[in-house]
Amino acid sequence: MAIYKLVKNDMSGEVESVTLTIDSGHKQSIPFVADNTEYQKYLAWVDAGNTPDPAD
Amino acid sequence: MSTLKVDAIRHNSATSDAITTAADGTCTANITSNYSNRSVVYNGAMKIAQRGTNFTGVTATGTFPVDRFKFHVGSLGTWTLSQSTDVPTGQGLSHSIKCDVTTANASPSGTAYARIDQRFEGQDLQRFCKGTANAKNFAVSFWVKSPKTGTHIVQLQDQDNSRNVSKAYTVSSANTWEKKELILPADTTGAFGNDNGGSLFLCFYLAVGTGYQGGTLQTTWGTPVNNTRATGQVNVADSTSNDFYLTGVQMEASSYCSEFEHRSYGDELQRCRRYYQVLVDQAGGTSQKSFAIACAYSSSSMHSTHLLSPMMRTVPTLDYTTGTDYYRAFSNNAQDSFNDFTLVGNSHAHAVDLAVFSNLSVTSGSAVLIRTYNAASKIAFTAEL
Repeated sequence: MAIYKLVKNDMSGEVESVTLTIDSGHKQSIPFVADNTEYQKYLAWVDAGNTPDPAD
Repeated sequence: MSTLKVDAIRHNSATSDAITTAADGTCTANITSNYSNRSVVYNGAMKIAQRGTNFTGVTATGTFPVDRFKFHVGSLGTWTLSQSTDVPTGQGLSHSIKCDVTTANASPSGTAYARIDQRFEGQDLQRFCKGTANAKNFAVSFWVKSPKTGTHIVQLQDQDNSRNVSKAYTVSSANTWEKKELILPADTTGAFGNDNGGSLFLCFYLAVGTGYQGGTLQTTWGTPVNNTRATGQVNVADSTSNDFYLTGVQMEASSYCSEFEHRSYGDELQRCRRYYQVLVDQAGGTSQKSFAIACAYSSSSMHSTHLLSPMMRTVPTLDYTTGTDYYRAFSNNAQDSFNDFTLVGNSHAHAVDLAVFSNLSVTSGSAVLIRTYNAASKIAFTAEL
Protein backbone atom coordinates (compact mmCIF):
# COMPACT_ATOMS: atom_id res chain seq x y z
CA MET A 1 0.00 0.00 0.00
CA ALA A 2 1.40 3.39 -1.01
CA ILE A 3 1.32 6.43 1.25
CA TYR A 4 -0.71 8.27 -1.43
CA LYS A 5 -4.12 7.18 -2.73
CA LEU A 6 -6.02 8.85 -5.55
CA VAL A 7 -9.61 9.89 -4.79
CA LYS A 8 -12.52 10.45 -7.20
CA ASN A 9 -15.14 13.14 -6.78
CA ASP A 10 -18.49 11.33 -6.69
CA MET A 11 -20.14 14.18 -8.58
CA SER A 12 -17.73 14.40 -11.49
CA GLY A 13 -16.40 10.86 -11.41
CA GLU A 14 -12.95 12.37 -11.93
CA VAL A 15 -9.83 11.95 -9.81
CA GLU A 16 -9.41 15.43 -8.32
CA SER A 17 -7.30 14.91 -5.22
CA VAL A 18 -4.93 12.53 -3.52
CA THR A 19 -4.95 11.42 0.11
CA LEU A 20 -1.68 11.19 2.01
CA THR A 21 -1.57 8.91 5.05
CA ILE A 22 0.96 10.51 7.39
CA ASP A 23 0.32 7.98 10.13
CA SER A 24 -2.60 5.89 11.39
CA GLY A 25 -4.25 8.92 12.95
CA HIS A 26 -3.34 11.72 10.56
CA LYS A 27 -4.17 12.25 6.88
CA GLN A 28 -4.13 15.01 4.30
CA SER A 29 -6.38 15.46 1.27
CA ILE A 30 -4.34 17.29 -1.36
CA PRO A 31 -5.84 19.18 -4.30
CA PHE A 32 -4.23 19.02 -7.74
CA VAL A 33 -3.09 22.64 -7.69
CA ALA A 34 0.35 23.67 -8.95
CA ASP A 35 1.27 26.10 -6.16
CA ASN A 36 0.06 23.84 -3.34
CA THR A 37 3.19 22.75 -1.45
CA GLU A 38 1.87 19.28 -0.61
CA TYR A 39 0.95 18.71 -4.26
CA GLN A 40 4.49 19.68 -5.26
CA LYS A 41 5.81 17.07 -2.81
CA TYR A 42 3.41 14.50 -4.28
CA LEU A 43 4.67 15.23 -7.79
CA ALA A 44 8.26 14.86 -6.59
CA TRP A 45 7.30 11.50 -5.04
CA VAL A 46 5.82 10.35 -8.35
CA ASP A 47 8.83 11.66 -10.26
CA ALA A 48 11.01 9.54 -8.00
CA GLY A 49 9.35 6.48 -9.50
CA ASN A 50 6.55 5.86 -7.02
CA THR A 51 2.94 5.08 -7.87
CA PRO A 52 -0.12 6.05 -5.80
CA ASP A 53 -2.84 3.57 -4.99
CA PRO A 54 -5.69 3.84 -7.50
CA ALA A 55 -9.01 5.44 -6.68
CA ASP A 56 -11.86 3.22 -5.52
CA MET B 1 12.19 75.98 31.76
CA SER B 2 13.30 77.22 28.38
CA THR B 3 12.01 76.90 24.83
CA LEU B 4 14.04 76.14 21.74
CA LYS B 5 12.67 78.32 18.96
CA VAL B 6 13.73 77.17 15.51
CA ASP B 7 12.04 76.77 12.15
CA ALA B 8 13.74 73.50 11.30
CA ILE B 9 16.23 70.81 12.35
CA ARG B 10 18.61 69.43 9.74
CA HIS B 11 21.64 67.14 9.80
CA ASN B 12 24.95 68.89 8.97
CA SER B 13 25.31 67.00 5.70
CA ALA B 14 21.66 66.77 4.74
CA THR B 15 20.05 68.77 1.99
CA SER B 16 16.61 68.81 3.55
CA ASP B 17 15.13 69.28 7.00
CA ALA B 18 14.39 66.34 9.25
CA ILE B 19 11.84 68.39 11.21
CA THR B 20 10.13 71.59 10.18
CA THR B 21 8.07 73.62 12.59
CA ALA B 22 5.04 75.70 11.77
CA ALA B 23 3.63 78.94 13.19
CA ASP B 24 0.51 77.15 14.38
CA GLY B 25 2.52 75.04 16.81
CA THR B 26 2.62 71.88 14.71
CA CYS B 27 5.56 70.26 12.96
CA THR B 28 6.30 67.92 10.10
CA ALA B 29 8.90 65.23 10.70
CA ASN B 30 10.62 63.10 8.09
CA ILE B 31 10.61 59.83 10.07
CA THR B 32 11.74 57.01 7.87
CA SER B 33 11.18 53.77 9.69
CA ASN B 34 8.56 53.76 12.39
CA TYR B 35 5.52 53.32 10.20
CA SER B 36 3.17 50.45 10.97
CA ASN B 37 3.46 47.10 9.27
CA ARG B 38 7.15 47.74 8.70
CA SER B 39 8.10 44.16 9.49
CA VAL B 40 7.40 41.49 6.89
CA VAL B 41 7.71 38.71 9.48
CA TYR B 42 4.57 36.84 10.49
CA ASN B 43 4.03 35.94 14.14
CA GLY B 44 7.40 37.36 15.18
CA ALA B 45 6.26 37.39 18.81
CA MET B 46 5.47 33.65 18.56
CA LYS B 47 1.94 34.23 19.91
CA ILE B 48 0.04 32.03 17.49
CA ALA B 49 0.34 28.24 17.65
CA GLN B 50 -2.66 26.73 15.87
CA ARG B 51 -1.09 23.31 15.29
CA GLY B 52 -0.29 22.68 18.95
CA THR B 53 2.22 23.86 21.49
CA ASN B 54 4.43 20.81 22.10
CA PHE B 55 5.96 18.35 19.62
CA THR B 56 8.16 15.52 20.85
CA GLY B 57 10.54 13.17 19.06
CA VAL B 58 11.18 15.48 16.12
CA THR B 59 13.88 14.07 13.81
CA ALA B 60 12.69 15.32 10.43
CA THR B 61 11.70 18.57 8.75
CA GLY B 62 8.14 19.82 8.91
CA THR B 63 7.16 20.79 12.43
CA PHE B 64 5.77 24.26 13.14
CA PRO B 65 6.29 24.92 16.87
CA VAL B 66 4.37 28.16 16.28
CA ASP B 67 2.63 29.42 13.18
CA ARG B 68 4.81 30.33 10.17
CA PHE B 69 8.08 29.22 11.80
CA LYS B 70 9.12 25.82 10.49
CA PHE B 71 11.78 23.63 12.02
CA HIS B 72 14.07 21.86 9.58
CA VAL B 73 16.32 19.05 10.68
CA GLY B 74 18.17 16.30 8.95
CA SER B 75 20.44 13.75 10.63
CA LEU B 76 21.02 16.05 13.57
CA GLY B 77 19.58 14.76 16.80
CA THR B 78 16.10 14.47 18.21
CA TRP B 79 14.18 17.49 19.44
CA THR B 80 11.18 18.55 21.46
CA LEU B 81 9.78 21.75 19.98
CA SER B 82 7.36 23.94 21.87
CA GLN B 83 5.79 27.33 22.29
CA SER B 84 7.43 28.58 25.48
CA THR B 85 6.67 31.37 27.91
CA ASP B 86 10.39 31.89 28.57
CA VAL B 87 10.92 35.40 27.20
CA PRO B 88 13.23 38.37 27.63
CA THR B 89 12.03 40.60 30.45
CA GLY B 90 10.61 44.04 29.88
CA GLN B 91 9.97 43.68 26.15
CA GLY B 92 6.25 42.98 26.17
CA LEU B 93 6.86 39.59 24.59
CA SER B 94 4.89 36.64 25.97
CA HIS B 95 6.06 33.64 23.96
CA SER B 96 9.10 32.15 22.29
CA ILE B 97 10.03 29.05 20.32
CA LYS B 98 11.89 26.49 22.43
CA CYS B 99 14.05 23.85 20.76
CA ASP B 100 15.03 21.21 23.32
CA VAL B 101 17.68 18.64 22.35
CA THR B 102 16.56 15.18 23.53
CA THR B 103 19.09 13.11 21.57
CA ALA B 104 22.38 14.89 21.01
CA ASN B 105 24.75 14.76 18.05
CA ALA B 106 28.14 16.14 19.03
CA SER B 107 29.74 15.57 15.63
CA PRO B 108 27.30 16.37 12.82
CA SER B 109 28.64 15.35 9.46
CA GLY B 110 27.90 15.97 5.81
CA THR B 111 24.70 17.84 5.13
CA ALA B 112 23.24 17.37 8.60
CA TYR B 113 21.55 20.55 9.75
CA ALA B 114 19.01 22.05 12.11
CA ARG B 115 17.41 25.41 11.54
CA ILE B 116 14.25 27.45 11.99
CA ASP B 117 12.96 29.38 9.01
CA GLN B 118 10.11 31.53 7.80
CA ARG B 119 9.15 31.68 4.14
CA PHE B 120 7.76 34.74 2.40
CA GLU B 121 5.62 35.32 -0.66
CA GLY B 122 7.30 37.47 -3.30
CA GLN B 123 4.37 39.88 -3.37
CA ASP B 124 5.05 40.72 0.29
CA LEU B 125 8.71 41.54 -0.41
CA GLN B 126 8.43 44.15 -3.15
CA ARG B 127 9.37 46.88 -0.63
CA PHE B 128 12.96 45.53 -0.70
CA CYS B 129 13.22 46.53 -4.39
CA LYS B 130 15.50 43.55 -4.87
CA GLY B 131 16.99 43.29 -8.31
CA THR B 132 16.85 47.04 -8.89
CA ALA B 133 19.20 49.99 -8.42
CA ASN B 134 17.05 51.03 -5.45
CA ALA B 135 17.44 47.76 -3.57
CA LYS B 136 17.08 48.05 0.22
CA ASN B 137 18.98 46.37 3.03
CA PHE B 138 17.37 43.60 5.07
CA ALA B 139 17.32 44.71 8.71
CA VAL B 140 16.79 41.61 10.83
CA SER B 141 16.33 41.83 14.59
CA PHE B 142 15.43 39.19 17.16
CA TRP B 143 15.91 37.93 20.71
CA VAL B 144 17.84 34.71 21.16
CA LYS B 145 18.73 32.56 24.15
CA SER B 146 21.25 29.92 23.16
CA PRO B 147 23.00 27.29 25.24
CA LYS B 148 26.19 28.00 23.31
CA THR B 149 28.32 31.12 23.22
CA GLY B 150 30.02 32.09 20.00
CA THR B 151 29.07 32.34 16.35
CA HIS B 152 25.54 31.69 15.10
CA ILE B 153 24.34 32.21 11.52
CA VAL B 154 21.32 33.87 9.94
CA GLN B 155 20.83 33.29 6.23
CA LEU B 156 18.56 34.75 3.54
CA GLN B 157 17.77 32.36 0.72
CA ASP B 158 16.32 33.81 -2.49
CA GLN B 159 14.36 30.97 -4.06
CA ASP B 160 13.38 32.91 -7.18
CA ASN B 161 16.90 33.63 -8.32
CA SER B 162 18.94 30.99 -6.50
CA ARG B 163 20.97 33.47 -4.50
CA ASN B 164 21.75 33.68 -0.82
CA VAL B 165 23.61 35.66 1.79
CA SER B 166 24.57 34.90 5.39
CA LYS B 167 25.41 36.96 8.43
CA ALA B 168 27.11 35.84 11.64
CA TYR B 169 26.16 37.03 15.09
CA THR B 170 27.77 36.28 18.42
CA VAL B 171 26.06 34.98 21.52
CA SER B 172 28.03 36.37 24.44
CA SER B 173 26.44 34.59 27.39
CA ALA B 174 25.01 31.10 27.36
CA ASN B 175 21.38 30.61 28.36
CA THR B 176 20.79 34.36 28.53
CA TRP B 177 18.40 36.40 26.43
CA GLU B 178 20.28 38.72 24.05
CA LYS B 179 18.91 41.04 21.37
CA LYS B 180 20.59 40.86 17.98
CA GLU B 181 20.37 43.41 15.18
CA LEU B 182 21.77 42.43 11.80
CA ILE B 183 21.89 44.36 8.55
CA LEU B 184 22.08 42.04 5.57
CA PRO B 185 22.97 43.76 2.31
CA ALA B 186 20.67 44.90 -0.45
CA ASP B 187 20.83 42.95 -3.68
CA THR B 188 20.61 44.73 -7.02
CA THR B 189 20.44 41.40 -8.83
CA GLY B 190 17.40 39.15 -9.08
CA ALA B 191 13.95 40.58 -8.42
CA PHE B 192 11.43 38.70 -6.29
CA GLY B 193 8.40 37.46 -8.23
CA ASN B 194 5.38 39.62 -7.47
CA ASP B 195 3.17 36.64 -6.74
CA ASN B 196 2.13 34.12 -4.09
CA GLY B 197 5.14 31.86 -4.57
CA GLY B 198 7.81 31.32 -1.94
CA SER B 199 10.50 33.84 -2.81
CA LEU B 200 12.63 34.18 0.32
CA PHE B 201 13.56 32.07 3.34
CA LEU B 202 14.79 33.74 6.54
CA CYS B 203 16.83 31.04 8.28
CA PHE B 204 18.18 30.76 11.82
CA TYR B 205 20.74 27.97 12.11
CA LEU B 206 21.15 25.88 15.26
CA ALA B 207 23.74 23.43 14.00
CA VAL B 208 25.21 22.20 10.73
CA GLY B 209 27.34 19.33 9.50
CA THR B 210 30.69 19.68 7.83
CA GLY B 211 29.05 20.10 4.46
CA TYR B 212 27.56 23.47 5.38
CA GLN B 213 30.73 25.08 6.62
CA GLY B 214 34.43 25.17 5.88
CA GLY B 215 34.42 27.80 3.17
CA THR B 216 34.39 31.54 3.80
CA LEU B 217 30.94 32.60 5.01
CA GLN B 218 29.01 34.11 2.10
CA THR B 219 28.33 37.62 3.36
CA THR B 220 27.45 39.11 -0.03
CA TRP B 221 24.66 37.92 -2.27
CA GLY B 222 25.66 35.18 -4.66
CA THR B 223 24.96 31.72 -5.95
CA PRO B 224 24.53 29.31 -3.05
CA VAL B 225 27.57 27.23 -2.19
CA ASN B 226 26.82 24.72 0.53
CA ASN B 227 30.04 25.00 2.51
CA THR B 228 29.74 28.79 2.77
CA ARG B 229 26.17 28.89 4.13
CA ALA B 230 26.86 28.56 7.85
CA THR B 231 30.60 28.62 8.42
CA GLY B 232 31.37 29.04 12.09
CA GLN B 233 27.95 27.98 13.37
CA VAL B 234 28.27 26.48 16.85
CA ASN B 235 26.60 23.14 17.53
CA VAL B 236 23.49 23.74 19.63
CA ALA B 237 22.70 20.01 19.40
CA ASP B 238 25.77 18.68 21.18
CA SER B 239 24.10 17.96 24.53
CA THR B 240 20.69 16.92 25.83
CA SER B 241 21.02 19.74 28.33
CA ASN B 242 20.67 22.27 25.53
CA ASP B 243 17.62 24.47 24.94
CA PHE B 244 17.56 27.13 22.21
CA TYR B 245 14.98 29.94 22.27
CA LEU B 246 13.96 32.55 19.69
CA THR B 247 11.41 35.40 19.73
CA GLY B 248 10.83 39.00 18.72
CA VAL B 249 11.77 38.36 15.10
CA GLN B 250 11.45 41.29 12.75
CA MET B 251 12.69 42.02 9.20
CA GLU B 252 12.47 45.45 7.63
CA ALA B 253 13.51 47.12 4.39
CA SER B 254 15.90 49.47 6.12
CA SER B 255 19.49 50.18 7.04
CA TYR B 256 18.75 49.96 10.73
CA CYS B 257 16.56 47.92 13.01
CA SER B 258 13.65 49.64 14.70
CA GLU B 259 11.93 48.58 17.89
CA PHE B 260 9.84 45.44 17.74
CA GLU B 261 6.40 46.16 16.33
CA HIS B 262 3.80 44.45 18.53
CA ARG B 263 0.56 43.29 16.99
CA SER B 264 -2.68 42.24 18.67
CA TYR B 265 -3.46 38.54 19.01
CA GLY B 266 -6.42 38.94 16.67
CA ASP B 267 -4.44 40.72 13.98
CA GLU B 268 -1.63 38.20 14.09
CA LEU B 269 -4.02 35.24 14.07
CA GLN B 270 -5.79 36.58 11.02
CA ARG B 271 -2.47 37.05 9.22
CA CYS B 272 -1.38 33.50 10.03
CA ARG B 273 -4.68 32.07 8.80
CA ARG B 274 -3.66 32.88 5.23
CA TYR B 275 -1.37 29.85 5.61
CA TYR B 276 -3.13 27.63 8.14
CA GLN B 277 -6.59 27.74 9.64
CA VAL B 278 -8.47 25.41 11.94
CA LEU B 279 -12.03 24.45 11.08
CA VAL B 280 -12.68 22.49 14.27
CA ASP B 281 -10.65 21.01 17.11
CA GLN B 282 -12.12 18.99 19.94
CA ALA B 283 -8.79 19.64 21.64
CA GLY B 284 -8.88 16.71 24.02
CA GLY B 285 -12.26 17.66 25.42
CA THR B 286 -15.32 15.50 25.88
CA SER B 287 -17.81 17.83 24.20
CA GLN B 288 -18.60 17.11 20.58
CA LYS B 289 -18.25 20.19 18.39
CA SER B 290 -20.58 20.97 15.51
CA PHE B 291 -18.85 22.45 12.48
CA ALA B 292 -20.78 21.85 9.28
CA ILE B 293 -24.12 21.43 7.57
CA ALA B 294 -23.74 19.11 4.62
CA CYS B 295 -25.99 17.94 1.81
CA ALA B 296 -26.24 14.19 1.28
CA TYR B 297 -25.51 13.80 -2.45
CA SER B 298 -26.23 10.07 -2.23
CA SER B 299 -26.91 7.54 0.51
CA SER B 300 -23.14 7.13 1.01
CA SER B 301 -21.70 10.58 0.36
CA MET B 302 -22.17 14.17 1.42
CA HIS B 303 -20.63 17.57 0.69
CA SER B 304 -20.28 20.72 2.79
CA THR B 305 -18.77 24.06 1.85
CA HIS B 306 -16.67 26.21 4.14
CA LEU B 307 -15.67 29.81 3.60
CA LEU B 308 -12.00 30.42 4.25
CA SER B 309 -11.30 33.56 6.22
CA PRO B 310 -9.15 35.16 5.09
CA MET B 311 -8.63 33.87 1.56
CA MET B 312 -5.72 31.45 1.77
CA ARG B 313 -2.47 31.69 -0.18
CA THR B 314 -3.62 28.99 -2.57
CA VAL B 315 -6.14 26.16 -2.66
CA PRO B 316 -5.35 24.55 0.68
CA THR B 317 -4.62 21.00 1.67
CA LEU B 318 -7.10 19.45 4.07
CA ASP B 319 -5.21 18.31 7.18
CA TYR B 320 -7.18 16.12 9.61
CA THR B 321 -6.95 13.53 12.33
CA THR B 322 -8.65 10.22 11.71
CA GLY B 323 -9.63 7.03 13.44
CA THR B 324 -12.67 4.86 13.98
CA ASP B 325 -15.76 7.05 14.47
CA TYR B 326 -13.81 10.31 14.75
CA TYR B 327 -16.72 12.25 13.18
CA ARG B 328 -20.50 11.90 13.34
CA ALA B 329 -23.36 12.78 10.99
CA PHE B 330 -26.85 13.64 12.27
CA SER B 331 -29.78 13.54 9.85
CA ASN B 332 -33.45 12.48 9.69
CA ASN B 333 -33.53 11.66 13.39
CA ALA B 334 -30.62 9.23 12.92
CA GLN B 335 -26.88 9.32 13.23
CA ASP B 336 -23.86 7.59 11.75
CA SER B 337 -20.14 7.80 12.42
CA PHE B 338 -17.39 8.03 9.85
CA ASN B 339 -13.64 8.53 9.70
CA ASP B 340 -12.42 10.37 6.60
CA PHE B 341 -12.86 13.47 4.48
CA THR B 342 -11.82 14.47 0.97
CA LEU B 343 -11.14 17.95 -0.37
CA VAL B 344 -13.04 18.06 -3.64
CA GLY B 345 -11.52 19.62 -6.74
CA ASN B 346 -14.05 22.44 -6.90
CA SER B 347 -12.41 23.94 -3.83
CA HIS B 348 -10.57 27.25 -4.21
CA ALA B 349 -8.64 29.73 -2.11
CA HIS B 350 -11.84 31.43 -0.86
CA ALA B 351 -13.87 28.33 0.01
CA VAL B 352 -13.58 24.56 0.07
CA ASP B 353 -15.85 21.66 -0.74
CA LEU B 354 -15.40 19.06 1.99
CA ALA B 355 -16.80 15.65 1.11
CA VAL B 356 -17.27 12.29 2.80
CA PHE B 357 -17.11 9.28 0.50
CA SER B 358 -16.62 6.30 2.79
CA ASN B 359 -18.10 4.61 5.87
CA LEU B 360 -21.23 6.76 5.63
CA SER B 361 -24.94 5.92 5.55
CA VAL B 362 -27.35 8.84 5.18
CA THR B 363 -30.59 9.62 3.38
CA SER B 364 -29.89 11.01 -0.07
CA GLY B 365 -30.98 14.62 -0.40
CA SER B 366 -31.18 15.33 3.30
CA ALA B 367 -29.32 17.97 5.27
CA VAL B 368 -26.71 16.57 7.63
CA LEU B 369 -25.23 18.12 10.76
CA ILE B 370 -21.59 17.11 11.28
CA ARG B 371 -19.81 17.03 14.63
CA THR B 372 -16.53 15.85 16.01
CA TYR B 373 -16.86 12.55 17.89
CA ASN B 374 -13.45 11.94 19.44
CA ALA B 375 -11.26 13.96 21.79
CA ALA B 376 -8.54 13.98 19.11
CA SER B 377 -10.79 15.06 16.22
CA LYS B 378 -9.29 18.03 14.38
CA ILE B 379 -9.72 19.48 10.89
CA ALA B 380 -7.57 22.24 9.46
CA PHE B 381 -6.50 23.69 6.13
CA THR B 382 -2.92 24.45 5.19
CA ALA B 383 -1.49 26.54 2.37
CA GLU B 384 2.04 26.98 3.68
CA LEU B 385 5.02 27.81 1.53
